[in-house]
Amino acid sequence: MVPPSPSITHGDLMPRSLLPALLLVILSLSHVLAEEKAPTPEQTRFFESKVRPVLVEQCIKCHGPDKQKAGLRLDSREAVETGGDSGPIVVAGKPDESLLIQALRYEEDGPKMPPSKRLPAEQVEVLTQWVQQGAHWPVETASAPASTIRRGPMVITDNDRAHWAFQPIQRGQLPHVNNPAWATNPVDAFVLAKLDAKGLTANPPASKVALIRRATYDLTGLPPTPQEVDAFVADTSPKAYEALIDRLLASPRYGEKWARHWLDLVRYAETNSYERDNPKPSAWRYRDYVIRAFNDDKPYDRFIREQLAGDELPDKTNDSVIATGYYRLGIWDDEPTDRDQARFDGLDDLVATTGQVFLGLTIDCARCHDHKIDPIPQKDYYKLVSFFNNTNSFRNGGPTDEVPYVEPGRELAYQERVRELELQKNEVREAIAEIEDEFRKGYQAGEKLPKGDIEELRYRFYRDTWTTLPEFDALKPEDSGELPQGLFDLKPRTRDISFGFVFEGTLVVPEEGQYTFTLDSDDGSRLTLGGNIIATDDGIHGLGDPKSAKVTLQRGRVPIRLDYFQKASGLGLAVTWSGPSFPAKFLSAIEPTKTKSKALADLASVIRTDGAKVLGVERFERYRSLVKKAQVLREQEAASESILCITEQGRVAPDTHLMLRGNAHVPGDKVEPGFLAVLGDEKAIIPEPPADAKTTGRRRALADWITSPTNPLTARVIANRLFQHHFGRGIVRSPNNYGVQGDKPTHPELLDWLATELIAQGWHLKPLHRLIMTSQTYQMSSNANPEASAKDPMNDSLWRMDMRRLTAEEIRDSILAVSGQLNLTMSGPGVFPEIPAEVMAGQSIPGRGWGKSSAENQARRSIYVHAKRSLIMPILEGFDQAETDRSSPVRFSTTQPTQALGMINGTFLHKQAATLADRLKREAGDDLNGQVRLALRLTTGRQPAEPEIQRGVRLIQSLETQDGLSRDEARRIYALLALNLNEFLFLD
Amino acid sequence: MTDANRTPGEFCGRTRREFLWEAGAGFTSLGLIDMLSRDGVFTGRASGAEVNRLGNPLASKPPMFAPKAKSVIFLFMYGGPSQVDTFDYKPKLYELDGQTIPVKTFGRGGKKNEGRVVGPKWKFKPYGECGKMVSDLFPNLGTCVDDIAFMHSMTADSPIHGSAMLQMNTGKILSGSPCLGSWVNYGLGSENENLPGFVVMLDPTGGPISGAKNWSSGYMPASYQGTILRSAGVPVLDLKRPEGMSGETQRHLLDSLNAYNTDHLASRRDNSNLAARIASYEMAYSMQSHAPEAVDLTRESKETQSLYGLDEDKTRDFGRRCLLARRLVERGVRFIQLYAGGAHNDSNWDAHGDLETNHGYHAGRTDKPIAGLLKDLKRRGLLDETLVIWGGEFGRQPTAEYAKGTGRDHNAYGFTMWMAGGGIKGGTSVGATDELGGTAIEDRFHVKNLHATVLQQLGLDPEHLNYFYNGLDQKLVGVEGAEPIRQIIA
Repeated sequence: MVPPSPSITHGDLMPRSLLPALLLVILSLSHVLAEEKAPTPEQTRFFESKVRPVLVEQCIKCHGPDKQKAGLRLDSREAVETGGDSGPIVVAGKPDESLLIQALRYEEDGPKMPPSKRLPAEQVEVLTQWVQQGAHWPVETASAPASTIRRGPMVITDNDRAHWAFQPIQRGQLPHVNNPAWATNPVDAFVLAKLDAKGLTANPPASKVALIRRATYDLTGLPPTPQEVDAFVADTSPKAYEALIDRLLASPRYGEKWARHWLDLVRYAETNSYERDNPKPSAWRYRDYVIRAFNDDKPYDRFIREQLAGDELPDKTNDSVIATGYYRLGIWDDEPTDRDQARFDGLDDLVATTGQVFLGLTIDCARCHDHKIDPIPQKDYYKLVSFFNNTNSFRNGGPTDEVPYVEPGRELAYQERVRELELQKNEVREAIAEIEDEFRKGYQAGEKLPKGDIEELRYRFYRDTWTTLPEFDALKPEDSGELPQGLFDLKPRTRDISFGFVFEGTLVVPEEGQYTFTLDSDDGSRLTLGGNIIATDDGIHGLGDPKSAKVTLQRGRVPIRLDYFQKASGLGLAVTWSGPSFPAKFLSAIEPTKTKSKALADLASVIRTDGAKVLGVERFERYRSLVKKAQVLREQEAASESILCITEQGRVAPDTHLMLRGNAHVPGDKVEPGFLAVLGDEKAIIPEPPADAKTTGRRRALADWITSPTNPLTARVIANRLFQHHFGRGIVRSPNNYGVQGDKPTHPELLDWLATELIAQGWHLKPLHRLIMTSQTYQMSSNANPEASAKDPMNDSLWRMDMRRLTAEEIRDSILAVSGQLNLTMSGPGVFPEIPAEVMAGQSIPGRGWGKSSAENQARRSIYVHAKRSLIMPILEGFDQAETDRSSPVRFSTTQPTQALGMINGTFLHKQAATLADRLKREAGDDLNGQVRLALRLTTGRQPAEPEIQRGVRLIQSLETQDGLSRDEARRIYALLALNLNEFLFLD
Repeated sequence: MTDANRTPGEFCGRTRREFLWEAGAGFTSLGLIDMLSRDGVFTGRASGAEVNRLGNPLASKPPMFAPKAKSVIFLFMYGGPSQVDTFDYKPKLYELDGQTIPVKTFGRGGKKNEGRVVGPKWKFKPYGECGKMVSDLFPNLGTCVDDIAFMHSMTADSPIHGSAMLQMNTGKILSGSPCLGSWVNYGLGSENENLPGFVVMLDPTGGPISGAKNWSSGYMPASYQGTILRSAGVPVLDLKRPEGMSGETQRHLLDSLNAYNTDHLASRRDNSNLAARIASYEMAYSMQSHAPEAVDLTRESKETQSLYGLDEDKTRDFGRRCLLARRLVERGVRFIQLYAGGAHNDSNWDAHGDLETNHGYHAGRTDKPIAGLLKDLKRRGLLDETLVIWGGEFGRQPTAEYAKGTGRDHNAYGFTMWMAGGGIKGGTSVGATDELGGTAIEDRFHVKNLHATVLQQLGLDPEHLNYFYNGLDQKLVGVEGAEPIRQIIA
C-alpha cells in the first residue's frame, strides 16, 4: 500500500518567503500615502454606497484577503494606491490612463477584468466616475483589513547580497587532511577534508578497465577499443593514466562530446517548432563552431564574447560571427497572434538563456514582476533586455539573419567574385529585359497580349516605414494616379524602401465560377475583393511563400483593392488569378529582375510558346541562351554559403521600457542598460559606436561584464558544469540556478578553487579537465560500501564515484562503434538517419522536413543528426535526449519498457546487430568461442570470464538446435544480446 | 530474479525536489519498482512507498483528494468545429444570413470589423429531459445530452492553429511545455504496467500540425510523454518482434541476457537502475502480448461493435478508436486522446471553404461513435469515473471568411466544448456567447479553466500540482492559476 502523500508539491519543503524584505518595504513606504487629504462626506457617501459594493461584490474574491492575483488587493486604500505587479492601477482623475478602468472596459491587448464576464455598464461607469473624481478612499476604520502585501519597488538588502553565489570568488587554503598521501591533487584535498569531517573513507581506485571506459566516455562519448584497453592495462608506468587523459583530450571526439553538453544548454536545434517547424538556415555552422571551440580549447571568456558579441569584436572572424548564431537557436512562431508580444517572447528567450547559461540565474522569472524568490527586480530583467533590444527579430533567413560565408583569407577574392558575378548578372538581365520588351511590343502589336483585367485602376502612394500594413485610409498619400495598363504596378514609386501603395479598381469577371487568387509580396500586402479580405501576406518577409484563396464569383464587375508596403530590403509583388476559363494570369505588373517569385515565370512561359513567332527564330534562340546563362549565374550565387548570425537595426539603440506585467503593449518606466542590482547595480558603459557601425556595441558591453574575472558567477558556473559532467552531478546540483532556491554547493571551497584555477589558466578548460580527472577522487571505484551508504546515501561527500547510464547519443554512437559502422566524418549540414514510418505518421505531412541520407551518413555521430524540434529519432528520444525548446542543464535518465522494446525489436538495433555479427565472424574467424569473446570485449571492454563465453556459446548452439536457426542467424541474436547488456550501457 | 537483501539507503533523506534536480538518478518506469519489490530486490528499511515515490515517475500515486474521475478521454476535434452549427444555438443568426454587419473578429485572416453573416447550415432541435438544442449534425449525440455539460463560453489566446493547438494541449501558446496528459500522469501515475499511461490515437489522414509537440512532455522526463497507439496493425512502435525472431527465440535471448545482467548486478546491488532495467525487459516482453490484447476488437460483441458504428464505412475508423479508448480505460490507462481529423485543411474541421461539406463529413464520421462511447461507458458503469472531453483548439466565426461561400475563419473569442462523466453534471449548459455566437460574454472560461476542471475531477488541485523547473514551481494552469468550472461539477 502506498500511504497518501500530503501533496505532490515538492517546492513546499523550502522556505521561500521574502517576508522580512517585504515588511521592510512596507514600513518605509506607508507613511508617504498617509499625507493625502481626507475625502469629503459626499465623496465618502458615493464611495460607500456605490464604489465599495462593486469592489466587494466583483473584485475582492481574487484581489482581497484570500487571494491576491497579480499581486493586487482592492480592499484597502493603501493596497489600491500601491497597485499590483504592474504597479499602480489608478491614476486619480484620469480613468483613461488607469489600468483598473482599462481592464473593466475590456480594452484590447490588456487584461480583461473580471475575466468571467464584463461588468454591467453602470458599474464600470461608477468606478470610472470614482477615478475621475480623484479615487478618494475614506480613512479606514480600525476593523478594516490591513494590507499585508504592500509592495513598493524591490529593495536589495545586505541579506540578499550575502547569498553565497553573490560573494566574490575566493581561493582558499588547501585544507588539512588526515591522509595527505591520498590527497595528491587539490580536488582530493577538499573532498577528503569533507570525508574526514563526516568520518567517511574514500573508495579504493577503480579497476583499470573501469577507469579507461569512464575516462574515454567522459571525454569522447565513445567506448575504448579492445586494443586501447589492452594497451592501457599493459602500461604499468606511473604516467600511463595521465598519458591516457592527454590522448583523449587531444582527440577530435572530445569536441564532439563536450559540444553536446553545450548545445543542450543553449537550446540548440536546427528548426523553429510550431506548425511548419521549418529549418533554420545554416544552423549547423554553430554546432561545428562549438565543436571546434572545445577541440581548440578556446578560452571560455572568449567563447562567451564570441557568442554574445562576436560581430562587435575588434578582431571578429568567421567563427566569431557564426558564434552569434547563439541568438537564433530558439523557437520561433512564424504566425504569432500578437506580433509585439512575440517580439518580447523572442527577447525573453535571450534573457532566459543568457541568464541561466552564463550566470546560473533565472532572471527570466522577473519578466512580469520582481523575481518571487531571488533578489532580482523586474527592472533588472529589462536592463538585460536593453542589451538585445536593437537586434533584428528573427525572420528565418535573409539579410537580417544571415551574412555570406567566406573562407578565411579569401575575403578579397570573394568580394571580387561577388562584383564580377553581379556585373555578369546585370549584363544578362539587361539583355533579357531588352528582348522581353521587344516581345511585349511585338505581342501587343499583334493584340495578343491581353491588358490587365482591372478597370478604372488607381493608385495612392505613401512614404513611411512600417512593419505591418498600416490603415492607409487614415494616412495622407504622397501621390496618386491612374494605371491604364490595368495591372497593380509598383513603378509609380519614388524610392525602393519605406513606401506603401493602395490600388483600387474594378475586376472584370468573365463568367460565374470559382476563381483562385495568389498573393506574394515583399514585404506585406492584402487583397480585398468586394469589401472582403480574401488574402493577406502581411509582415516583413521576402517573396516565395504565396498566399492563395479560392473565391466563387458571379459574372460582372467587383471592386478590387490591394494594400502593399515595403520596408527595408528586397521588393516585389506578384498577384495572379485563374478561373474556369483561363489558367493563372497576372493582376500585377512584372518586374522580373527584382523578384524571385515562381509565379513570375509566366511571362517566360508565354515567350516559350510564342517567342519564336513574335521575335523571330534568331532573337528567340538568343533569348533562350540568355535565360540559361541567367540560371547558371543564379546557381553560382546559391552556392555561396551563409552564416546564421545576429544583426542590429543600426548604431542607435531604441529606448527600452519596463513592460508592466510583461505585457508588450503596456510600457512602464524607461530603463538604461546596466547590470544586476544585487551585484552592484553598475550602469553599462557603452562607448559611442563609430559612424559606420552597424550595431550599438551594447552586447559587447554585456559580454565584458559577464567575462570579467570579478563576476562572481561566470567562472563558478562553468567550473561546476565541468565537474557535473565528470561526476554525474555538479558541486551545485542545480547548474542553471544559483539563486536562493537553487541547491547549495556540496563543496563550496572546491568550487571556488576550481573557478579561480580556471581563470588562472587563462579560462582554458582542458587543464581543468586534466586536474579533475587526475584526482584520486575521480579515479575511485563505484563499489558499494554499506557503512558509507548509511551515512551519506546521496554521496554528497563523494566517498565514491557514482555509476552512470550512457546518454542517448552515447548509446547510439556506441552501438555504431561496436558494429564497426560509425562514420567519424566531422562537420557539415545535419544528416537524416532513417525514422520509422510509424513515427513519421505523427506529422501532419508525414516525412516533411526529414531527408534521407546515404548509408554512410546515416552512421555519423548523433551530434550531426539534423536537430528537428518536432521529429526526433526514437532511440535518442527514448533515452532522454535534451528537450530543445529551452536551456537544458541536466539530462534525465529514465528506465522504461518502451526502451527495451526498441532495443530488442527496433529496426536500428537489428541492422546494427547483423553488422556486428558479420564483424564477429570476420574478425574472430569461425571459432564460436572467439566470436562470443569478441562481442563481449567490444561491448564491455574487459576480458570475459570463461563461463560468460560458455553461456554465449550455449545460447547460439541452442538457438541452432532448438529453434532451428542457422549459425548466422544465431550469431545475430547473440550480437543483439551483447548490445543490450547492462554492462554496455552503464559505466562503473 | 535475485535473493539479495540490501539497504536501498540512497533514497533516504532526500526530498522530492532534490531528486528532481539531480534527475539523473532513478527515473524508472511504470510498475518496475513494484515488480522489483515483489522479487525481493528492495527489502531494506526504506518502504516500498518511498522507493516508489522517488524512483518511479509512473508508479500509481494517490490523488490529493477524493477523485471523481480516474481516466480521461479527450476527443480532440482538430481544426476547430463551428459552435453555431453544432451546439451553440443562435436563432438570430439564421435571419441575418448573407447580411454584412459590423462585428469584431480575429482569425487567420487577421482582425476585421465587419463581415457577412453565414447563417447556421443545420437546424437545431431539443433533446433529452434538459431540452438541449443540438444541431442536426449530431442526431446520435443528441440523445446523450442529459449526461453532458456544455461550456459555451470558452476562450483561448490564439486563433492560429499552431499556437492554439499547443495551448489546448499544454496551456501555453509557446512551444516546450508538458501536455495535459503528461501532467495527469505526473500527478497520478499509471495503473497498468503493461500499457502507457498517456495514449494518443491519430486520424488516419495524419497527425495534427506541430506533430509530436502535441503530446510532448516538454521539460518533464520522457516518461510522461504521450505514446502513439495505432488502432490497426502493430499498436505501439517496436511492439512486434522482427521478421525471423520467434517468441521462443526471443525468450531464449532474454533469459540469457538476464543471466548476464544478473551477474553484472551481483556486485552492484545498490544501483536500483540496473535492476529496473533488467525488469524493463520482462515488462516489454509482457507488453507484447498485453497490448495486442487490449486493441483486439474482435473480442467485442457484434452489438457493441455496431453501437460504435463499426459496421458502417463512414464511422468505422473513429468508432474503432472510440471502442479502443473504452478498452484502454478498462485497463487503467489514465489519459487517452483521440484526434478527429488530421493533416491539413478539410482533412480536419478547418472549414475555410465549404462549411457544409466539411462539417457534414467530420460530424458524420464521429457522431455515432461518440454517442456509442458515452452509452457504452454508461451501461458498464464506467462513465462515472471517466471524464470525456469534446472540442477543438478554437471555434469558428459567425461570419464568412470570403466574399462567397460558407467557409468560416478561426475564432478564439468564444467557442463551445463539452464534458461528460467523471463527476460532471449532465444536462447542463454554462456560459454564453453574444447573439451572433462569436464572442463569449457570460461566464467566460479560458482553456486554463478547462484544464483546472480536468485536474480537479481527477483529485488533483490545479493550484498545487507543481513541477519545479527553471527556478519556478510550474503549473499547468500557469503562475496566476485558474479556477475549475464549478458550475458543471456535480
